[in-house]
Amino acid sequence: MNKTFDRYAGIVFLLIGVFFIMESRRISASSYGSNVGPDIFPIGLGVVLILLSIRLLYETLKYNKQGKKESKPDYKGFLVIFIATVLYVLLLETLGYVITTFAFLLTSFQVMERGGWLKSIIIAAALSFGVYYVFVEVLQGSLPGFPM
Amino acid sequence: METLQFLSDGFGVAMQWRNLLFAFFGVLIGTAVGVLPGIGPMSGVALLIPITATLTSGLDAQNAAASSIILLAGVYYGAMYGGSTTSILLNTPGESSSVVTALDGYQMAKQGRAGAALSIAAIGSFVAGIVSLLGLVLLAKPLSALALSFGPPEYFSLMLLGLCAVSGLAGKSITKALIMTVLGLLLATIGIDNVSGVSRFTYGNIYLYSGLEFLTVAVGLFALGEVFRSILEKDDGDGKIAKVGRILPTKQDMKDSTKPIIRGSLLGFFIGVLPGAGATLASFFSYIAEKKISKNPGKFGKGAIEGVAAPESANNAASGGAMIPLLTMGIPGSGTTAILMGALIMYNVQPGPLLFDDHPEVAWGLIASMFIGNVMLLILNMPLVKVFAKVIETPAKYLLPIIIAISIFGVYAVQMNTFDLLLLVGCGVFGYLFAKQDYPVAPLVLALVLGPMIENNMRRALTSSNGDFSIFVTRPISLFFLVIGVLWILIPLILKWMGRNVVINDEE
Repeated sequence: MNKTFDRYAGIVFLLIGVFFIMESRRISASSYGSNVGPDIFPIGLGVVLILLSIRLLYETLKYNKQGKKESKPDYKGFLVIFIATVLYVLLLETLGYVITTFAFLLTSFQVMERGGWLKSIIIAAALSFGVYYVFVEVLQGSLPGFPM
Repeated sequence: METLQFLSDGFGVAMQWRNLLFAFFGVLIGTAVGVLPGIGPMSGVALLIPITATLTSGLDAQNAAASSIILLAGVYYGAMYGGSTTSILLNTPGESSSVVTALDGYQMAKQGRAGAALSIAAIGSFVAGIVSLLGLVLLAKPLSALALSFGPPEYFSLMLLGLCAVSGLAGKSITKALIMTVLGLLLATIGIDNVSGVSRFTYGNIYLYSGLEFLTVAVGLFALGEVFRSILEKDDGDGKIAKVGRILPTKQDMKDSTKPIIRGSLLGFFIGVLPGAGATLASFFSYIAEKKISKNPGKFGKGAIEGVAAPESANNAASGGAMIPLLTMGIPGSGTTAILMGALIMYNVQPGPLLFDDHPEVAWGLIASMFIGNVMLLILNMPLVKVFAKVIETPAKYLLPIIIAISIFGVYAVQMNTFDLLLLVGCGVFGYLFAKQDYPVAPLVLALVLGPMIENNMRRALTSSNGDFSIFVTRPISLFFLVIGVLWILIPLILKWMGRNVVINDEE
């Protein structure tokens, strides 16, 4: 268990609870003749979340200090793939499905493991064209195809 | 027998060539999902929803729902079959429900009996599938009749019980599990309130008015979260894949595993019916039970065929049992059944007691198709075990980016907007962080699906009682559910507390 993470998480969850309570109070009262309006449920949950966060913060005080030694994660590879994913998502509608999917797959194949360019290109191309063709032509689905 | 009539009608639906095809692809994909590490039944089912939605778009709602759910349920129980393959051949379970299978299964493989282990797992799963189907057929009518007598307060308490059960059994820390549940319920309040029509927490964002789409959140938290973890922690354990060898089990193997299969099926079925317990616990308990019953427990862990037969039967029976609360009461007891429920709701088919009256072809068609699907799995798995063993060798280099691409495709095909894709990627990051820090994500998804129904039932109950909260404890059935829910959370806490004392004593 990671003490620092849980402590910050506890504070964030606490703030989320406070946020939902404060924002619920701004919801206009129900027009229908009941005293059970749309704000009761989120307010109640917010209170429970705050109590649970305090409990979590209290638990972190009792954690043992010694942390497990963990192998160093591959942050660099992950970061590149993550940025590629975000770009893929943002450009999907402008550049179209086929181009973005091909570029994303080729990039991440190479980030995962260098080399084998020909195989990477063939798989990326087959998938991006294949999915598009099957989904749009055969199944009559709708995807942004190519840039206008 | 009215039930038999319905069941034969169900077979009529399930035997339509389209549904046979759907069941076949469901179990085939499910087996692959079970075999592939990094993609579990939950993400597998979630990823296929958009594809089935497109495949069935030409049909009327009734048939479309039946066909889709047949395929998706096939993925679910197919994954239980496939999960055993990697446990036995590689000692790396493809699913958490196959963890205990690896104990004896991998030892058997090392002794050159991998084929026997795999086929016993398949036979056990088949028997278990049939047992849980019989249970489903017998229990469906009485349980849905019982559920029909429930009013809003009972439903509210029953759903609360479901959430408590899932939180109480998920992960190492109950506090964290409860936090995730409450967070899921809070996220479910985003969007237009369907009682008063007031928009809540939307801040003028048009995509938020319909609420956070559960499909996006589920695929992000499970599928992307798992992929991100695999990328960060490169865990491609270069285990050697054992040779499959002779496939058919010997007579002695069959004799040794008959009773464990039957015991595992029954135990697994009842654990599966309980909310929150699910396949992983079922396989775990049945393994322990076999070890206790066995005349020579010493052989467990050294390649005992009972240690493969019982847990593999149990996890498959549990996946059948888990369909009961979903179909009869409309309450999913696990992450995967929550996703199945979300899929049914997408087709305007509300699971619950009325399902058997309103949509008999969906309910009974699904039940009949599970029978057919289990036969297909047995036929598929015995000769094709060697082919599936090859699937394990798919390199992570290609597999992981492809899963990301499929997730994005799946969400976009249904939601058609960039907002959901960004939400998907965000959920992926959170899914990784949560899982790494022992915050279980299944309760969050379950809460997200159940949230609107819990709130509706709570408000309907409170409206009828003029805002008096005692309605939940004065109605006996409702009180009963609440007490069980509280016990479900408290008993593990008490056990843990006692366990901790023991540990302290040991150290002194």
